Amino acid sequence: MTDKAAQSSSKVTTNRAEGLIDPISLMKIKSMELRAKVIVEGFWKGIHRSPYHGFSVEFTEYRQYSLGDDPRYIDWRLYARSDRYYIKKFEDETNLRCHLLIDHSRSMGYGSGSYSKSQYAGTLAATLAYFLYTQGDAVGLATFDDQIRQYMFPRNRPGYLRRLMVALEAAPEGNSTKLGPPLQHIGEMLTKKGLIILISDLLTSIDRLEPELGYLCTGGHDLVVFHILDPAELNFDFESPALFQDMETQRNMYVDPSDAQISYRRMLQKHLARTETICRNLGIDYHLFATDRPFDLALLDFLQDRMRHRKRIRHRSRPKTRRTI
Amino acid sequence: MSFLYPLFLAGIAAVSLPIILHMIRRQTRKRVTFSSLMFLRTTVPRFKNRSRLENVLLLILRCIILCLLAFAFSRPFFPRENGDKQVAPARRIVLLIDTSASMRRTGMWAQAISEAESVLKDAKPTDRLCVKRFDQGTETLIGFEQWESMESGRRTDVAVEQLSDLSPGWASTDLGGALVSAAEAIEEDEVNDEQQKFGTHQIVLISDLQKGSSLEALQAFEWPEALELDVKLITAAGSTNAALQLIASRDHLARTAGDELPSVRITNSPDAAVERFSLSWAGEDSEETSDRKTEVYVPAGHSVVVRAPQRTDSSTPGKLVLTGDDHDFDNALYIAPSLTHKVNILFMGSDKADDSEGMLYYVQHAFRPTGMLDPGIISRSVENLTDEDVTTAHLIIAADTIAPGQIDSVRRYLEAGRTVLFVMKSSDSIKTVAALTGIETINSQEAEVDTYAMLNRIEYKHPLLAAFSEPRFGDFTKIHFWEYRKINIDDLPGAEVLIWFDSNDPTLFELHVAKGSLLVLTSGWHPSDSQLALSSKFVPLLYSILEYSGIFANRQPQYFVGDNIPISPSTGLESPNLEINKPDNTVVPVEVGEESFTQTDLPGIYTIKSPAGDHIFALNIPAKECRTEVMPIEDLEMLGVSHVQHSGVSAELADSSIGSRSIQMSRLRSFTELESEQQIWRLILIVLLAVSFIEIALAGWLTRPPSNLQGE
Repeated sequence: MTDKAAQSSSKVTTNRAEGLIDPISLMKIKSMELRAKVIVEGFWKGIHRSPYHGFSVEFTEYRQYSLGDDPRYIDWRLYARSDRYYIKKFEDETNLRCHLLIDHSRSMGYGSGSYSKSQYAGTLAATLAYFLYTQGDAVGLATFDDQIRQYMFPRNRPGYLRRLMVALEAAPEGNSTKLGPPLQHIGEMLTKKGLIILISDLLTSIDRLEPELGYLCTGGHDLVVFHILDPAELNFDFESPALFQDMETQRNMYVDPSDAQISYRRMLQKHLARTETICRNLGIDYHLFATDRPFDLALLDFLQDRMRHRKRIRHRSRPKTRRTI
Repeated sequence: MSFLYPLFLAGIAAVSLPIILHMIRRQTRKRVTFSSLMFLRTTVPRFKNRSRLENVLLLILRCIILCLLAFAFSRPFFPRENGDKQVAPARRIVLLIDTSASMRRTGMWAQAISEAESVLKDAKPTDRLCVKRFDQGTETLIGFEQWESMESGRRTDVAVEQLSDLSPGWASTDLGGALVSAAEAIEEDEVNDEQQKFGTHQIVLISDLQKGSSLEALQAFEWPEALELDVKLITAAGSTNAALQLIASRDHLARTAGDELPSVRITNSPDAAVERFSLSWAGEDSEETSDRKTEVYVPAGHSVVVRAPQRTDSSTPGKLVLTGDDHDFDNALYIAPSLTHKVNILFMGSDKADDSEGMLYYVQHAFRPTGMLDPGIISRSVENLTDEDVTTAHLIIAADTIAPGQIDSVRRYLEAGRTVLFVMKSSDSIKTVAALTGIETINSQEAEVDTYAMLNRIEYKHPLLAAFSEPRFGDFTKIHFWEYRKINIDDLPGAEVLIWFDSNDPTLFELHVAKGSLLVLTSGWHPSDSQLALSSKFVPLLYSILEYSGIFANRQPQYFVGDNIPISPSTGLESPNLEINKPDNTVVPVEVGEESFTQTDLPGIYTIKSPAGDHIFALNIPAKECRTEVMPIEDLEMLGVSHVQHSGVSAELADSSIGSRSIQMSRLRSFTELESEQQIWRLILIVLLAVSFIEIALAGWLTRPPSNLQGE
């Protein structure tokens, strides 16, 4: 995992994969819903030109049509391509309840570019919400800093997506980051199993992270963590000494980046590695995202996670072959 | 190098301040907002070599600025060596010493002499000095030429010896006149001696600068631009000074002379510490008599008028003494007894004394005996007039044409400096005027008066009519004239018209006949001519004519030190045997022809001894000399005196320490003069400005904002 973290960190330079939408350009779209729509539809289009060869569209979400299936769920695009009838599995079988948990603490307001982590997280959440909503899943929203600030029950009704987008467009006021109380609260609130997508910078003590994330796992929920960090937070490539001020605690510290960069990166990598380890131990799908990474890739990672998840479920539900002695 | 104010050099210690700030400065001004400091640790600030070098240069420049500032304030100068005669510019100095009465206060004269000696001893061989003393006049003791003519080694000794003979007098202080005299002496010496160049023109004034000093002479004088005034202020030990001043008696109409008790004003100084005083008469031996004392309360800065205490014998001269204050130079008031003047008034005319239609009736009623005046009216008709009547008269009122046989007698009377009032009863009376004046071409006729004539123009500036100059006394329009004689004044060359009718005809005019005065009234005061005798102006007019005749000259009992005492022939004092006894018992003979006595330098009782009798008068210190509070220097500066330096020396230090203080002060003065000549501080200031500009430019160039990554 350390290697993966290293790979993630090495990947998170300002690169623009061919065919992927540049987040800087995307963030200029003011409407969150439109932004999400552009990402999702662009994703679907780009799926066929994906550089990730070997990626199969036929992932577990599809199954061959059989007599009696609801023809409403036939994927006509797939039919047009394959001349075979396939039912989108998650359309008829998942009925997923998804909660988007967005971190609105003050540290999420940091951004070294033209947009902050909070704006990136909001767009990411909007993208996922749009994607899931159009797939027929119920999507809910909760924003938090040291407590839950806003909560929207998962729904899939006409007009509900618009309300979600409006809620995501609201600028965070944010206090300090305390994952524990809001996550515990959400864990208590969610009575039915579902998918929880946590989007946060996770700038909290590593010792508290495991129990705080554990709150969400106790209910049997599927948890996906999108760990959002700014490239400046990942690289700490400042040049001149300055008085650095913590956005949450307002504490000042004199730092010479030329001296502090190496130790900063080391400590950060250590934190990221431990975070990933904790998530893996808890069965949480963990994704480290720099805010200059295209949203399409986030969607792709999300879908890959879902694929792996479905495979595990099918594997667990397959009857076992008795061995004859 | 020496420093005038070396304490300012302590300001150089302030240079350490920027160095300390430079060493402890750790904080950078650049601030970066970051999401979390949880992965950061504080780093020790380092200075790059390049940055350190620039800061040190700025630091050095700023330290230089502070050092230069402290240096400039300390006023550095290069002292001259004693043997260097070529460096010191010569000075032209006038030493003015105040010898007025106020310098008689305890300890002040000794201090003044000490200051004067100090100035004399500080004089360099190249300096030119003039020593003057002043009170109400200025006298040169040693002139510039006299100083220059003496050997340089003996000058100071000679001058000091002259000072030892000097002592304060009793006169008032004409400070303005003294300063003008000193300034003119310097200018005159400068004109007379143009070869030698003098660096400084200076007046050294040694005085108590009392507020009672006269400064009028400075008002019309333009103070020379380069002339400095160095005031050595002599202050008295005690602050309480009360003075006595005689108030003019109001009881002059009292029947009996000598009855009245004099009123005196007691004035206390503004900074007085004592407010209770005693007033008593001193005997001939200046010891207090058994006469009653009067206790007086006078608050500081105020004055009180009180009656003098009772005396056993108030008909003799007396000395009123005030006790209780710190200075007794002005505590004595000499009072001469008021005299009753016996006056013979000759009325020439045929009027009867009890005839109210005539003029004599009103003259008799006008001149009544008073406390000052014992008038005797001698009425003579022109037929009965004798020469003795004329010569013994103090004033002649001629109400009728004078007979030709008596014209000579009256003319001689006039030529002796006497006064005749001639009233023209008719137009024929002009012949008398012509005969007395010798002007034959005068004509007169009866004026044609329409209802009545009034008086129009009054010459209030004439001494005869000065008493009517106040508006409440100057309205003559209510006096109506029915008849008067019209005269063409142009026919009388030398005539001065004092009062005019509204018809522009003269009412009263004066003609000088030798030393005498012929006053001609063109209308009578009897009822057929006018209402003059019935007006309120009549009696004062007659008394004014009487006073104008000089009858009261030298009859005043009170004068001030420095006054010229007139010796009028009208009192018979022109006798060659005239002598004046002064208070110090010296006898001063009066020369024939002398018109005034000027040796009034002592306060006290003076006696004029003449065959006609003794006449006593008293001399006192002028009241303004008793105002001993110190005048602010600004009063001199407001009158144009520039470059005034001021140093106060208290009379309390009139002991052995004065000598060393004087030496220190003279050394300080010489250093001050040297520094003011060199003015090195100006050069330092110029260098300081140049360094400041360099520092500003360098700081601006160094603090240009460098290109940084944005942290947000």
